[in-house]
Amino acid sequence: MKKNIDKLFREKMSKSKITAPTESWPIIEAKLKRKKNIRFGYMFSLLGAISLVSFMLFSTHTENTLSKPLQKNTSLKKDVKSKDNEVNEININHDNLPLSEPQEDSKKLYATIATKKDSKNNASKFLYNNTTSEKTPFFEEKVKDTIIEKQVRKIDSLVNNLDSLVDLVKKDFKIKRKKLLKKKDSSEVENFKKNKSRRWNIIPVFGISNTGRLSKNISTLGTLRAVTYPNEYFDDNKSSGLISYTYGFNVVFRATNRLSIQTGVFSKELRFLTENLFLSEFIPDVNPTNIIYNPGVEVRFSNTPEIGGSESANLNQTIVYMEMPFELKYRVFGSSKFNTNLVGGFSFLYLNKNEIRAKTNTSSRSIGRASNLLTTSSSLNIGLDIEYHLSKRLVFNSAVMFKKHYNTYKDYNNEYSPYNVGMHVGIGYKF
Amino acid sequence: MCLKYSRTYQDAQDTLQDSFIMIFKDIKKFKHKGSFEGWAKRVTVNVALQKFRKKTSVTFDSIEESKIPEKEVFVDVEEKNITLNLLLSLIRGLPPKYQLVFNLYVLDEYSHQEISEILNISVGTSKSNLSRARKLLKGQIENLKSLE
Repeated sequence: MKKNIDKLFREKMSKSKITAPTESWPIIEAKLKRKKNIRFGYMFSLLGAISLVSFMLFSTHTENTLSKPLQKNTSLKKDVKSKDNEVNEININHDNLPLSEPQEDSKKLYATIATKKDSKNNASKFLYNNTTSEKTPFFEEKVKDTIIEKQVRKIDSLVNNLDSLVDLVKKDFKIKRKKLLKKKDSSEVENFKKNKSRRWNIIPVFGISNTGRLSKNISTLGTLRAVTYPNEYFDDNKSSGLISYTYGFNVVFRATNRLSIQTGVFSKELRFLTENLFLSEFIPDVNPTNIIYNPGVEVRFSNTPEIGGSESANLNQTIVYMEMPFELKYRVFGSSKFNTNLVGGFSFLYLNKNEIRAKTNTSSRSIGRASNLLTTSSSLNIGLDIEYHLSKRLVFNSAVMFKKHYNTYKDYNNEYSPYNVGMHVGIGYKF
Repeated sequence: MCLKYSRTYQDAQDTLQDSFIMIFKDIKKFKHKGSFEGWAKRVTVNVALQKFRKKTSVTFDSIEESKIPEKEVFVDVEEKNITLNLLLSLIRGLPPKYQLVFNLYVLDEYSHQEISEILNISVGTSKSNLSRARKLLKGQIENLKSLE
C-alpha cells in the first residue's frame, strides 16, 4: 500500500508517544498564573511535583475513574428499564431498591440519589412517576454529576498533595543551596590558605582624572582680604578643572579571602584653569589676589584691562601632592580569575608643587605660586576596583575612584576644596 | 521527542532531564501567550538541538529556494512491519543535516521559515535537505522491503 512518508513517520511516532493527560496542562498553567511572581526555586519544585501529579493522573485517573463510572451508567440503565414497573412502586427507603449482585456501585449511586430525594421530596415524586424515557436522561445526568464531582474531588486532593510536595521540594532545595554556598565559601577559604604565601601585591599605577569643585565654580586665587575690592577679585571669572595625571605604586596586603588593606605613594596632580583675565604691565599698589609672583616678574593678573595696556590671558594653576592612601578593599564578588572590590579610605596629601602659569596667545610662562594653599591636607576616597589575575604572580588592576579633598586652602572652607574622579590602571606583582 | 534527536536511549534520557532543568530555570520567561505545553515542547527541542550539535558537527550547503521542488514522497510499505525502533534507526541513519530538518519539519511540525531561523540556514536549504531526507528514507524503506 502506498503511503505518504511524512504521514507514515508522523502516525507511527504519535502512536508510540506517551502524552501527559490533557487535564494536566491547564492545571499547570493555572498554577503558573497564580504564582507568577514566586521565586525560581519554588517554580523548580512546583513543576517537578506537577510532573509527578501528571503521571499519577495518567495512571489512576484514566484507568479507574473514567472506566468505572461508565460501567455504572450502563448497568444502571439496564436496571431501570427491566424493573420499570417495580420502580414506580418503590418507597423512598433505598434498601428496597431492586439491585442485582454485581451492581454494588449502582447501589451506592441509588443510595446517593435516594438521600437527595429526602431533601427534595417533590423532585423524587416527579422522578418516579414519570415514564422510562424521561427517567434515563435524569439518571445519566446524575451519574455524570457524580463522576464529575468525584473527579473534581480527586483533582482537589491531588492539588493539595501537590502543595505539600512543593513545600517539601522547596525545603530540600533550600537545604541543598545552603550546603552549596557553604561548600563555595569553604573552597574560597581553602584557596586563600593555599595562596597564603602570595598575600602581598605591589602595583605600579598610572591614573587619569578630572578635577572640580562641588561649590561655586570660582577661582580661589581672588583674595577675600582685598580692602578696595568688595567681592572676590576673580568672582566673575570661571574656574574649571583640567585633566590631570597620577602615578605611583600601590602595596596591597590580603588580610582575609575578602578583605585587603592597601597603601602606596603617588604623585598626584590637580590642575585648574581660570579664563578671561588680563595680564598688565602696570603694577598696582594693592595685590588683590592670592598669587605670590616670582622675583623679576613684572606683570600682574587683573580682572579688567588696566590703563597703560593689558593682554588677554588665562591662568593655569598646577598643584602636585605627594599622596599616601590608606584604604580597605572588600571583595564583593569574583572567582579565582576575576574579583570586584569596593574600596574606601583616606589619603594624606603633602604639597609638592605649587605653580601658576600665565598663558597668552603667544606664550606660556610660570609667573608665581598660590599663597593660600596648605602644605598638608587630606582626602576621603571611595571607589570600585577590579582585579584580573593574569597568572599566579601577575594581576591586572583597574579602579574608578572618587576623592574629595579637605583642608586644601587657608582662607576657604572645605566647600571650595576640590574633588577628583579618575581611573587608575596597573599590573601588579604578587609575592 | 528526545529519542529522535539522540543516538542512544541514554542520550535521550539526558536530553529530557536537561530540558526539564531548562524549563524550571526559564519558567519566568513563559509569558502565557501560548500554551504551556507548546512552550515546554519548544524548550525541549532547543535543548535537544544544542546537544545534537555539540555531539555532531553539522554543516549545511546553501541552496536557493526557487530551485527546490516541494514534492510529496510516497512509499509502498506494509505498515504493520514498521516499528518505532525501525523508524528511529532510519532517522538516525540519515546524515545529521537531513536528520535535523526532517525531525523539525515532519515530526515536530516546524515551518521551513522557523527551521531556517533555528538552524541559521536559508528556507531553500531547509526545503532541499527535507527533500533529500525523504528520498533517502524512501530508499532505505524500499531496501528493507526487498530484503524481506
